[in-house]
Amino acid sequence: MPPSREQLEDALKSLRDPALRYADVRFTATHNQHVRVRNGEVDALMSNVDRAIGVRVLVGNGWGFAASSDADEASLLRTARRALEVAAASNIASTQTITLSDVEPHVASWRSRFEKDPWSIPLDRKIDHLLSATEPMRSDPRIHQASGDIASYRQEKIFASTVGSYIEQTTTEMGGGIEALAIAGDEFQRRTYPNPFGGDFQAAGWEFIEQLDLPRKGLQIRDEALALLAAPKSPAGRFDLIVGSSQLALQVHESCGHPTELDRAMGLEISLAGGSFLQPPMLGKFRYGSDLVNIVADATVPKSIGSFAFDDDGVPAQRFPLIENGIFVDYLTGRDTAPVIGRRSNGTVRAETAARIPIIRMTNINLEPGTTPLAEIIADTKRGIFVDTNKSWSIDDVRLNFQFGCEVAWEIENGRLGRLLRNPVYGGTTPEFWRSCDAVGDRESWQIWGLPNCGKGDPMQTMRVAHGAPAARFRSVEMA
Amino acid sequence: MREERESFAILDRALDAANADEADAMFMSSDANISRFANSHIHQNMSEVSAELTLRVVIGGAMGVASTTSFERDDIAEMVAVAREAARHSLPLRDFGGLYRGGENAPDLPTFQRAEITPAEKALALRTMFDSGRRSGVHFAGSYGTDQSSVACGNTHGVRRYCAMTVSEATVIAIRGEESGYATDIARPGIDIVALGAEAIEKATMLTGVHDKIPSGNYDAIIEPAAVAEVLDWMNMISFSGQAFEDGSSFFVGNIGTQVASKDFTVADDAIDPKFLPFPFDLEGLPKRRVTLIENGIARTPVVDKAYSDRLGIQPTANGWGLGSPEHGSALHLSVDAGNATREDLIRSTKRGVWVTRFNYVNGLLEPKTAMMTGTTRDGTFLIRDGEVVARLPNLRWTQSMVEAFSHIEELTRERRRIGTWSNPFGGTIAPAMKIAGWNFG
Repeated sequence: MPPSREQLEDALKSLRDPALRYADVRFTATHNQHVRVRNGEVDALMSNVDRAIGVRVLVGNGWGFAASSDADEASLLRTARRALEVAAASNIASTQTITLSDVEPHVASWRSRFEKDPWSIPLDRKIDHLLSATEPMRSDPRIHQASGDIASYRQEKIFASTVGSYIEQTTTEMGGGIEALAIAGDEFQRRTYPNPFGGDFQAAGWEFIEQLDLPRKGLQIRDEALALLAAPKSPAGRFDLIVGSSQLALQVHESCGHPTELDRAMGLEISLAGGSFLQPPMLGKFRYGSDLVNIVADATVPKSIGSFAFDDDGVPAQRFPLIENGIFVDYLTGRDTAPVIGRRSNGTVRAETAARIPIIRMTNINLEPGTTPLAEIIADTKRGIFVDTNKSWSIDDVRLNFQFGCEVAWEIENGRLGRLLRNPVYGGTTPEFWRSCDAVGDRESWQIWGLPNCGKGDPMQTMRVAHGAPAARFRSVEMA
Repeated sequence: MREERESFAILDRALDAANADEADAMFMSSDANISRFANSHIHQNMSEVSAELTLRVVIGGAMGVASTTSFERDDIAEMVAVAREAARHSLPLRDFGGLYRGGENAPDLPTFQRAEITPAEKALALRTMFDSGRRSGVHFAGSYGTDQSSVACGNTHGVRRYCAMTVSEATVIAIRGEESGYATDIARPGIDIVALGAEAIEKATMLTGVHDKIPSGNYDAIIEPAAVAEVLDWMNMISFSGQAFEDGSSFFVGNIGTQVASKDFTVADDAIDPKFLPFPFDLEGLPKRRVTLIENGIARTPVVDKAYSDRLGIQPTANGWGLGSPEHGSALHLSVDAGNATREDLIRSTKRGVWVTRFNYVNGLLEPKTAMMTGTTRDGTFLIRDGEVVARLPNLRWTQSMVEAFSHIEELTRERRRIGTWSNPFGGTIAPAMKIAGWNFG
């Protein structure tokens, strides 16, 4: 049972410290179910319910946070007391003044929408669905692994703060995907649909899994994985590169989403996740990309897993530009960071559960579609390479020097897609890469991709974010 | 942190309700405190009390797993129903010989000293470190955590295990302008945060303002323990796990008993070394022992859980760290044997090379069969010329097969360091620094 509104508000009232400036209390009940089939058997079938409470206080210039997996009334009061003790300790080694941007009190209740409740679908139907997609893939002995995943997620969250807010939110999500792993001698190739690392995710129900149509895609990815075994290696050198929507979504994530997190720019995450090359004096001036590059943060996109109604500061979800016509114009911010750049929070602070401190997280960070159909971009490319679907990712600690490997590539000769190529790897530095963008695909090639595994913070918090991207072309990119 | 009696009572409640052919359960509790700091200021400070119960039931050879953070009878009954429902709909696991039957004692490891330190004591230690940084013109970022936790596991064959453990862990980065240095430690009894601060200052202030650049290419590289740990973490997933062995993507496949690395390279899963991060059993209840993965360069065995020990015909290695987890074995106490050199020896013997403090954002999925990885360096990369450290280098990208790299080990240090990883609550890596010929930067 979640704590009542009265219990949560009593916990806030119990915080007696003359220097208390702000406090909030959260409760989450997070439900996860994961079904994985692999080579004809059920490899994992796990269900988890995680309940947590968290109390965050700002006393003087010291933050304190305490959490518990015990959500009863007595635990709430104990946790509130511990938060005050921790804040007192923070003040011992506090050297900075903390300013919070304004927020209005909100009393609200919000639920993401779905048609078919993930938990109403029997487990055997989920297993059968995955087996029907993966079993036909095993008809070739070079397929060493045919696997599939279906994940269901629901989080119920209650937030109350000393500002006077009381907000209830429930998010329901599903995701799924399949994978074929082919091996011949020392050659190893993986092909996934619709995305690697568990597939694609939406704030939706079983209807999303039906829409993915996994059973119809199994043979296609089997054939592509087998073809990759025999395909020539993607050549090294400089090429005009067309990046497909799925891979470009991850490029946006790593090279725009993370460096526009203001806490990274301020050095607050430098010890683990790193910093950012985008520093506050560059706001409004720095040419991040070509004129065609428009990137927005939009926490209001329907059905996307980066959407919500209020962040964990109680700030309403918003849409705003980060990169406008190629110019860096804004950061992702929270109430305690936005004042550093003289702005109000744009509502991007979230925690994985109530047991974690809310920090700046991506929402839906989207490269806006352009006007050119993908077919025209290809037709307009004399000699190039088309890459898609991420295989490996790496970027330096300020988000400048990146290298991405993709599952698949095709050569482009005189405006036509040609041979399949294996193991494409491209790299560069972030502004150089985005400035070389000279064609952005239209809405037809634009798709939003759910990434449920963005890691940040210490203890590590895995956050659910999403990225919309079309295909786009980049001139003279270094391929390894 | 829950005591043994309470932990077993909760385990028994779940196992008694399981009503299955077999069942096992694990119960973990933790009192954790972590202080994060940046710009020599504590900006996040937290205390968490948590507990979680996981149950796996086996019905007709098929498994279902469920977990909960609520332990009232009704909550446990709900968890049991979910696990049973999962097993009922699942399929029998091939070659599964059943859960661990017990009959062996877990190793008798030293009593763990409790790293009890209050948030205020921690803040005072950090303030001392911040003050020392100001005197050296650096500011600090990092984290300092302490955790007292308990782990209990058991099954319907009467196996019961319990261990209380403490751990302290800190990561410190000293920053002066564009230059930085790094130090880290993890230990059961406690750590000296001020000493780590001094080590990071030394790296951050070494050769201040003396910068150089190098063209892409192969260089002799001195890789410090934190960097070794980063690549071994990836190898744990792509090379050492039962899953990677079974699906054929590990370079161990077809190479067991053959020379895959330098004779100087021995890596083991060693949870019983009292100087490392001792832990007496895996979560399926099997007693831990030292399991050598690569011995003097010869591939010996992947690590497996009970199900994959049965399937692959591999002697149990006690590496089941998640009931029903798809990795089917993970080495959480990676221990690389030491050599005879000092770090200064490694530097002195290098004509032209790169000294690496740590890596950033390593990825091991490029070509798993050769453990081809990429990443960048950070927090202290130096140029060595004619046996001397002559300049600071910018962070460098590298792309390198680890099978090849570990075949080109020239020297290892006597000193080994303990390195923690966020994803590993039970152990970490203990490794020496290595000198490796022909590392590919670029």
